[in-house]
Amino acid sequence: MKKGMIIAIVVGLVVILGIGLISANNKLVSMETEVDAAFANIDTNLQRRADLIPNLVNTVKGYAAHEQEAIDSVTKAREKLAGAATVEDMAEADSQLTAALNNLLVVVENYPDLKASANFTQLADELAGTENRIAVARRDYNDAVQSYNTAIRKFPTSIIANLFGFGQKDYFQASEGAQDVPEITF
Amino acid sequence: MKKRKIPALLVAICCFAALLQPVSAAVVSPGPSFYVYDGAQVLTEETEAYIIKTGQELQSKTGAQIVVVTIPSLEGQVLEEYATELFRQWGIGDAEKNNGILLLCAVEDRQFRVEVGYGLEGDLPDGKTGRMQDAYIIPLLKENQFDAGIRNGYSAFLQEVAAIYGVSVTGKAAVAYEEGEANPAIMYCMVIGVVLSSITSAVFLKKKKPKRTAAFWAIQGAQLVVMALILQSLIAAIWIAGVSLFVSVGLRSGGWRLRTFHTGRGFGDGGFGGGFSGGGFGGGFSGGGGRSGGGGSSRGF
Repeated sequence: MKKGMIIAIVVGLVVILGIGLISANNKLVSMETEVDAAFANIDTNLQRRADLIPNLVNTVKGYAAHEQEAIDSVTKAREKLAGAATVEDMAEADSQLTAALNNLLVVVENYPDLKASANFTQLADELAGTENRIAVARRDYNDAVQSYNTAIRKFPTSIIANLFGFGQKDYFQASEGAQDVPEITF
Repeated sequence: MKKRKIPALLVAICCFAALLQPVSAAVVSPGPSFYVYDGAQVLTEETEAYIIKTGQELQSKTGAQIVVVTIPSLEGQVLEEYATELFRQWGIGDAEKNNGILLLCAVEDRQFRVEVGYGLEGDLPDGKTGRMQDAYIIPLLKENQFDAGIRNGYSAFLQEVAAIYGVSVTGKAAVAYEEGEANPAIMYCMVIGVVLSSITSAVFLKKKKPKRTAAFWAIQGAQLVVMALILQSLIAAIWIAGVSLFVSVGLRSGGWRLRTFHTGRGFGDGGFGGGFSGGGFGGGFSGGGGRSGGGGSSRGF
């Protein structure tokens, strides 16, 4: 009787612990998936922007061919982004590209014909929209990373995280100074 | 030692979490009529009733939702962030189709944004929403005609979404404000062209019997082209006059009867018979849970 009770309690505890382990593990897995999905979303939008750039560059060249420096810095930043491997590199290249594009848009202010052209308006809208999508995707990603990173550090999920090797994820954040673009002299 | 460590760790984690907590933008909450929120008090009651009625109709036919929000000021927030936050909090559009549209006007900031849900981004790319803003909304907002501009823009997007889904929704005509300006110039050019070419050919005819030279045929050809263009524009003018007559008669003869043309799509079908009774919006509406990813376009005015 007594022995049976002890066994029952032990078995019960093991079952409860097991269920806890599994559900904690599943929770971490789904959070990790969410992070990955959010990252894929950033990636999609970065790609979308990269696809828009050649078109933009050609349009600008048509009206403002001698703004070579501003155009080059966009093209270079685009190449750098394509070659980025880690999240941090990517974030850095992304913010450089954003800065270069903003700079180009400032230069464009001097060309009213270009600004007024339907093609440019369309491209500028698509670009601004994509830029904004990247910002939204980045926020979503950082939110997902934040709750994931918090979860793997919190007790008791931290035990599971250590056991099954859930590591910290990087935020999509550019280091300071990444926004600096080469000076443009007029 | 160990006992003390755990609370300390917990406190540290909590602090860390608190520090990282996203600062979510404070946006306005939907009112009972959901489809329109006139925080800046720039819309007439008629416009609001129109938006609610047609919005509800569109929603029941397609699941798509178009929401109009005016606010006095962004209070230092970024327009795009505000729009996305509001879009998601309200859940504009169907949760699975994500087919919502938000028209947001920040009156004092003089900024307008069209935010498009994930599901409509393919049919309404950013460039198109920008063009539609330029044609239907911004010219009126520039003259502080908030009610007219927002109603016109709403109608344009309403008909656009209805066309995407292939349904008809009773709505007012959306008037494009760009095309009207170019036309007179073209007409003048044509008239001048005709006058010049007839003078030249008259001179030719007077001098001697027209030799069938290349120049003669060139002038004849040019004249023909110009005549054809004039005929074309005449037909267009008659068409436009007919449409506007039809529209004004239709509008006068009773409220919402008309489903009119929009951006050259031609006429929609018939229209509903007697006016709607409205039926009292007792229960209030709510969002379907749609989300946006920041698509759309912004304009200052």
